[in-house]
Formats: sequence, C-alpha cells, structure tokens
Amino acid sequence: MQDSSPLSFTIVITGAPYSCQAPQSALSFAQAALRAGHRIDRVFLYGDGVHLASALASPPSDEPHWPREWSAFLNEHDIPGVACIASALRRGLVDEGEQKRFELPASNLLPPFTIAGLGEWVEGRMMSSRTVYFHGSD
Amino acid sequence: MTKIQTLHILNKSPEHPRFARCLSMASPDDAILLIENGVLGLASAAISTSGQLLALAPDMAARGLDDGSTSFETIDYDGMVDLTTRAQQVVSW
Amino acid sequence: MSTLILIDQPPYGGWTGREALDMAFSLAAFDQPVSLLFCGAGVNWLRKGQEPGQVRQKSVEKNLSAATIFGVEALLADSDDCNRYGLEAAQLLSGVELVRADAQLFAGYSHTAFAG
Repeated sequence: MQDSSPLSFTIVITGAPYSCQAPQSALSFAQAALRAGHRIDRVFLYGDGVHLASALASPPSDEPHWPREWSAFLNEHDIPGVACIASALRRGLVDEGEQKRFELPASNLLPPFTIAGLGEWVEGRMMSSRTVYFHGSD
Repeated sequence: MTKIQTLHILNKSPEHPRFARCLSMASPDDAILLIENGVLGLASAAISTSGQLLALAPDMAARGLDDGSTSFETIDYDGMVDLTTRAQQVVSW
Repeated sequence: MSTLILIDQPPYGGWTGREALDMAFSLAAFDQPVSLLFCGAGVNWLRKGQEPGQVRQKSVEKNLSAATIFGVEALLADSDDCNRYGLEAAQLLSGVELVRADAQLFAGYSHTAFAG
C-alpha cells in the first residue's frame, strides 16, 4: 500500500563518482521517486559531489558514465541540477562565467548543471517535502 | 501504512564510527535502512538497535549477501522511496 | 523547523567539517534556525589554541566564536566524546554547551544533516 499523495524531493549528493556509490544510489533513488509519481524539485551537489558535474570525466567505455547518465536524467525530466559554487571552484569545476571571471584556460561544467550558492540548498529544503542526502562511504 | 518517526539511511561499513552511532541514536519508532557498505552489517556480528532494520537488496546482491540468510526486511529502490515518504524525517549517515 | 548540523570529522585533516560550518552559516543567513553538534572526533574543532599556520590553513576558532553572532542558535558538543579526547570544559572554546548526543536530543530537531 503506497501513500497515494505525491511528494517533492530535493536530492543532495556529497560523494564523488568513481570514489563512492553516492551518485549511482542517488540516481536509482531519483528514478524510483519519479516512477512512484513524486516530483524532484532539484539536485544539489556539495563537497566532493560536484565532480558529478564534470564534462571531462572519461571512464572506460565499458563502465557507466555517471555524469552523462545524470545529465540525461536531469534533461529528460527538466530537473535543475546545481553544483555549490564554493565546493566547485575549489575543486576546479567552472562554468564559462567563472572561467572568464578567474581568467582560467577552460570551463568544464556539464549541462544542464549550473553553479550557484548554498542558498539553492536552503531554498530546496524549504520547498521540498523531503530532502535526502547521499554521502560518500569513507 | 505505519508511520516512521525518523528514517536513518546508513551507508557506512560496520567499522565506521558512524555505524555504531546511528544504531545507538535510533528510537523504537525509527527505521534504519542499510545501503551500500552498510549492508555488510548483515554479515558481521549481531546488530543491536531499538529501531526497525531494513536492507537494500541491490547492494546486498552486489556483495554476495543472500536475502534468505537474514531476518531483516529487504527492499529495492521503490521501497526506499516509499520509506522516505512514510518517515517524518530522513537522516543520511 | 529547526536544523541540527552534525560534525563528526576532525579539523584540518579534511574539509567536511568546514563544509558543515558553511551549511550552518548559510541556514542562519536565511533566518533558518540551526544548531551545530560536534561529536566523535569532531569535538576536536572546539579545542582552544588552534594554530594551523604551519599547515597553511585558516583557524576556525574565530568562525566558531562568531557563530552565535551570525545566528547559529547553539554550539553543542557530546560530553562523552569530549572526555574521550581529553577536552575539559576549560579547554573548550567559549559558548560551547555540553550535551548527550542521543535520540532525545535528536527529537528536538525537525532536520538533521551531515555535510558528507
């Protein structure tokens, strides 16, 4: 017996792909949430989780490409994906705006991910019925 | 459907300090869902907690843990979503 | 709704604790009630006299001292864990409240989160 009233989720990922299972557990959870008729308001990447938004990740071709799988999922369901700007800049994840601002040689943020402040996390928590975190396991 | 006060999502191995802390923090009205490395708790010494224990089947299967060998309830990702909707609060350890 | 941010990772050897502080300050900046709970090895954030200049990091003592000014409601520390790390009340940063980190404490908050 499922609870029939749909809820909304903010999903926070703090673990990096290929370092831990967080991005893949979070994707399976997000897919199941939509299957059950719930909504996902936004996905927020924090700490090492920002590596999920890298356009330059190049895993071996016989392994899942977690950044691209997440990117396709966000695009398909029109869900905003936001990487924390402080976490992202420290770890070398930048969009074109930050590339110009810091005069960096390249940008590497995988669309549809965007970069924004922790305020996006605060707002997500306030608007969603549930906020679920996926951490690294170290 | 029974309500859950707090759903504790535990992805740490039994060696991690957060594993024991999570178990000790759970109240009788809580549920603890073992995922990722957390499912190894099923293979280690007896777990003692006042909450209800569940484990994520895909993570058990990945680690060669047979769900027939445990008395805990095992669920899939759909069940995990259902748990989060029934809980008043969700805490990831 | 009041949020409890937990810090159980020790300082300087990792960034998770700093990122947890940022989360707490961010909630406070948006007028969301928030408290910090230091437990496990995380209690070592609260030791007086941290001088991380030689490891080229910023001290968090000042940030923590200013936490309540920035709207963080309370700095809580698990008393058993303080004992485990030899932290007497006199060695703790000012404004820290010793508590038992148990289910009863958790019940007072509508949200509980780690930074990683």
